[in-house]
Amino acid sequence: MKFVANVDFNGGQLRPLDQSDVDTIVKLYQKQTLAGQSTTASTEHAERMITLSVQMAATQRGLMWAIEIDGQMLGMLSLYDWQPTSLKTLMRLDVLPGITQQQQVDALSTGIDFLAKKYHLRNFSFHCLPTDDEAMMSTIQQVGFIQQACLRDFRRISQTEFSDVLVFNKILELAPETQHEGESA
Amino acid sequence: MNWNLNTEHYYVRFAHEEDIQNIYALLGTNDVVKNHPKNPMVVEAQAMDEARRMVMQFDAKEAAFWLVEEKATGKVVARISLQKFNWVNASAQLRVDVFSDFKTQSALSEMIYAVATLAYEDLSLHRLEWFLMSADKCFIDIAKAFGFNHDGQLMNFLEFEGSWIDYQVFSLLKTDDVWQQAIKAQGLPQS
Repeated sequence: MKFVANVDFNGGQLRPLDQSDVDTIVKLYQKQTLAGQSTTASTEHAERMITLSVQMAATQRGLMWAIEIDGQMLGMLSLYDWQPTSLKTLMRLDVLPGITQQQQVDALSTGIDFLAKKYHLRNFSFHCLPTDDEAMMSTIQQVGFIQQACLRDFRRISQTEFSDVLVFNKILELAPETQHEGESA
Repeated sequence: MNWNLNTEHYYVRFAHEEDIQNIYALLGTNDVVKNHPKNPMVVEAQAMDEARRMVMQFDAKEAAFWLVEEKATGKVVARISLQKFNWVNASAQLRVDVFSDFKTQSALSEMIYAVATLAYEDLSLHRLEWFLMSADKCFIDIAKAFGFNHDGQLMNFLEFEGSWIDYQVFSLLKTDDVWQQAIKAQGLPQS
């Protein structure tokens, strides 16, 4: 059964991860421009991530899309902490240098539109470290994400060191049919 | 490790079997729960269930709950808890349910100082966060008076009775100057 949909965007496609993506996932996670990326990323980690992407989507805990342009995987758009009851999710965007900022904006906007329409999600968040890639933060702001909080020392980065976490939100208005369903429930 | 704490005017202690009525009286009061937001309990069975959940969450190392008993009267006036323990990032969420007569800076300074001391010293936590609704001006003023930092807001965090709730996030770090001063003064500011 297919749990992750293919979604076309201007010039590319969001699609489920598959085994042929292992090398690209390793490259993405070895970049060290975002939290969680590390030189220790390995083929084994990437294979586990592909398995996890199916498990997460099947249970609506999360979702991982490959961002494909001209037949080549150039990034990933992921959802974590998907809470269907609260209509919200945490997102993550990992990209390789070959993708333009406009393509990232298009991929993210299209992904959000799809999630809003298909799953009624309306509250999207990014958690960024202040040291994260500035281009990524610029991209999400272009899509309409606004910084709402700076959670001090929210993430441990070593045994004795902590980092602030910047919280960006994009909140969509409730669709009229969703409001109606809520009122009549 | 001793989880039962003792302040000048209060016993800050774990609940026992005889506390069902105390929990019901506290969490059945609209003024106590309205800013969480939550509906007040309407039958005592809810308090029994809540007491069970308090034990289960503590056993699972997810949370710890204390009832606050006023020494002078023996009355339980509040419940204070540390919830959503994050042992990786060394953080927890503070939550206070308190009768309005005791929702004062002087009373809360004793309760919160006792629990925060245990959190930082015994549990080795680094960050306590306190999610407060904007409408809860009293708690917000008290959080600021204690030196909690306003980290920002979490918009549309949850839905309650048809309305989407925003939380204001306040935090107190073990390394904050205000906490270090509190240790020297053996208490949070009382006024």
